[in-house]
Amino acid sequence: MLTLLGKVCDMISARGVHKSFGSATVLDGIDLDVSVGEVVSILGSSGSGKSTLIRCMNGLERLDGGRITIDDFDVSNPKQLAEARKRSATVFQLFNLYPHMTAVENITLAPIQVLKIPRAQAEAEARALLDSVGLGARSDAYPAQLSGGQRQRVGICRALAMKPRYLLLDEITSALDPEMTAEVLNILAQLARTGTTMVFVTHEVEFARTISSRIVFLDKGRLVVDLPTNDFFASGGGMANPRIAQFLAKMRKD
Amino acid sequence: MKFDLTILAPHVPFLLKGALLTAEACALALVGSLIIGLLVAALRTSSSPILSRAAFIYVDLFRNIPFIVQLFFFFYGLPEIGIYIDAFTTGVIALSIAGGAFSSDVIRSGILAIDTGILEAAEVSGLSKPVIFRKIVMPIALRTSVRPLGSVFINLVLTSSILSTITLNELTGSAKIVASDTFRPFEVYAVLLIVYASLTYLISLAIGSLHRRLNRDRMPDVA
Amino acid sequence: MMRYTSFTSYDFILLAQGLGVSLALFAVTTLIGLLIGTTWAIVRFYRVPVLTPLITFFAELLKNSPVLVQLFLVFFGLPALAKINVTPVEAAVITLSGNTAAFIYVIAVSAIESIGRDQIESARVFGLTRWQVLRHVVAPQAMAFAVGPLTGLLVNQLQVTSLISVIGVVDLTKIGNILNLRTLKPFIVWTIVGGLYYVTAKLIALGGARLEKRLRAHTAWKGL
Ligand SMILES: Nc1ncnc2c1ncn2[C@@H]1O[C@H](COP(=O)(O)OP(=O)(O)OP(=O)(O)O)[C@@H](O)[C@H]1O
Ligand SMILES: [Mg+2]
Repeated sequence: MLTLLGKVCDMISARGVHKSFGSATVLDGIDLDVSVGEVVSILGSSGSGKSTLIRCMNGLERLDGGRITIDDFDVSNPKQLAEARKRSATVFQLFNLYPHMTAVENITLAPIQVLKIPRAQAEAEARALLDSVGLGARSDAYPAQLSGGQRQRVGICRALAMKPRYLLLDEITSALDPEMTAEVLNILAQLARTGTTMVFVTHEVEFARTISSRIVFLDKGRLVVDLPTNDFFASGGGMANPRIAQFLAKMRKD
Repeated sequence: MKFDLTILAPHVPFLLKGALLTAEACALALVGSLIIGLLVAALRTSSSPILSRAAFIYVDLFRNIPFIVQLFFFFYGLPEIGIYIDAFTTGVIALSIAGGAFSSDVIRSGILAIDTGILEAAEVSGLSKPVIFRKIVMPIALRTSVRPLGSVFINLVLTSSILSTITLNELTGSAKIVASDTFRPFEVYAVLLIVYASLTYLISLAIGSLHRRLNRDRMPDVA
Repeated sequence: MMRYTSFTSYDFILLAQGLGVSLALFAVTTLIGLLIGTTWAIVRFYRVPVLTPLITFFAELLKNSPVLVQLFLVFFGLPALAKINVTPVEAAVITLSGNTAAFIYVIAVSAIESIGRDQIESARVFGLTRWQVLRHVVAPQAMAFAVGPLTGLLVNQLQVTSLISVIGVVDLTKIGNILNLRTLKPFIVWTIVGGLYYVTAKLIALGGARLEKRLRAHTAWKGL
């Protein structure tokens, strides 16, 4: 937010991000800032590069150009990546829970190993988190013993246990049926109310509208619109862009 | 001469001693093969081309050369370079090295079968590579490989009979002595055949139950 | 004495002879094993009573016991029991053939089972006899299925032949023993012997892979 001696703090900042796979350009000069306290939803049709952008932010993909910093730590710099990763946490579309660990063990692994939190404390925090998402009774269950919605709630707890400044979420409900989707979205709404910063890739347009402070729209690897939520949905705003109007019409039909 | 098992009765304690030696050698070699297997599997799946190439060459060599040749290589070769170890130790080392080659192949496919998403989740949470290997890759690969590793272990037990050729009086070695003492080789070796087969059968039962126990969390419980 | 412990060109002839003996026994016992093993599998395909469970038991026994013990049973045990004379080579042929047969049997059974009951049954409905079904429906498909596992088995059985040196057959490993004793250079001797086995195993694997590719191409073409 504030620029001090050329330093940008308290935000995820993407500048001119380029990424290609072979000859296909997937991200084509993305500029995006997400400040602490914001909920930014990323919309865009399939293949527009949303997941790739998230994967560049958490260092799973190497940038081919441009720069992403998290609180000033450059994710392309191997020495700073670890620090950048400590500040963000990711929730995945397919949960990616560790199958051989219970819910509590899934949640406590990184806090114990990376943040060096004592095991007893980490476990108490994990159980409290699970309680808060209504899974207190399933704390010692293995992923295979949980429903999809329950697994994703564990996935969210696992991310939150790292006390991240930024939560990166990539279509975390698209593998769930409507009922389970509601379970998970409720938790996100709760998180948004408590001021958790989120970068939220989703196809749930209506939900994005209710929780986001800003909406950005990706099209073929370009960031074509970046507007406050109300402006995005106003007829003169994002809707003025025919690609977006088309996209929203299609989403509403589904 | 007719088939008569009673003549074996007085030799049972001696044979049991041999069986115990077989059990000890196999238990130690099992541990050795698992350690080597894990290490080599880690190297083979590592991102360094040199390390994975070296690991592949080790596996390829020790899988394609008869165990008895490997055993003689160590048994006769080590003293030549000034390493004097007894037959038992030599046998355990040779079994571990050969078993390690087979185990590493099994463990490697266990590693390659791990969902990459799980590894990415571990990576972005900031876990270091060694921790990811120890806490996530290794346990998942091992528990999915219990059955094939069990087959490797059964083969190890059968192969251990070859240790009798380097003067080790394990089960087969003791049986050889009993056979020549009693002049009843048919009875002795027939019984030995059944003993080995029963032993491997018991081991395969144990492996089955170990597999079920390690993977019990995959069975949905009604809680 | 110095000259005695050093290698001579004659040693290479010895090694070649040993390799020849190993390969000859490998080839012969593989053929016999193939014959017996498939016969067993056919007996099972016909669901012959009494014989089928007997064969299964026998195959399991052979698969799950050390070849060395089987070898001792035939070489030392048979003569003592039946008062017959068994030479080392005979004992080797009997044991290795039987052992190979047991593994072939298992491969053949799973190859036949891979074809699926419905295919066999529908062929039977067309009025084919069980033998015709076996020849024209089961055998070609089972063969393509079995080449992969067979190659693995053969590479393994080549190594198993090394055990016959223990009962005195002068195969490659026995030559290794002889040279080891004479030259007192175990590292060199066993490296050479191991190298020869390795190269042979690789050639077998290569041949198997080629054959598999050809059979695969053949069945794929037929499927069009
Ligand atoms: N590892 C990869 N190798 C090659 N191409 C890839 C790879 N990952 C993504 N792509 C390509 O990059 C483009 C963008 O993919 P991305 O997953 O970022 O899209 P998305 O916006 O998340 O789509 P969706 O809504 O379907 O999840 C796609 O065309 C995809 O095929
Ligand atoms: Mg995506």
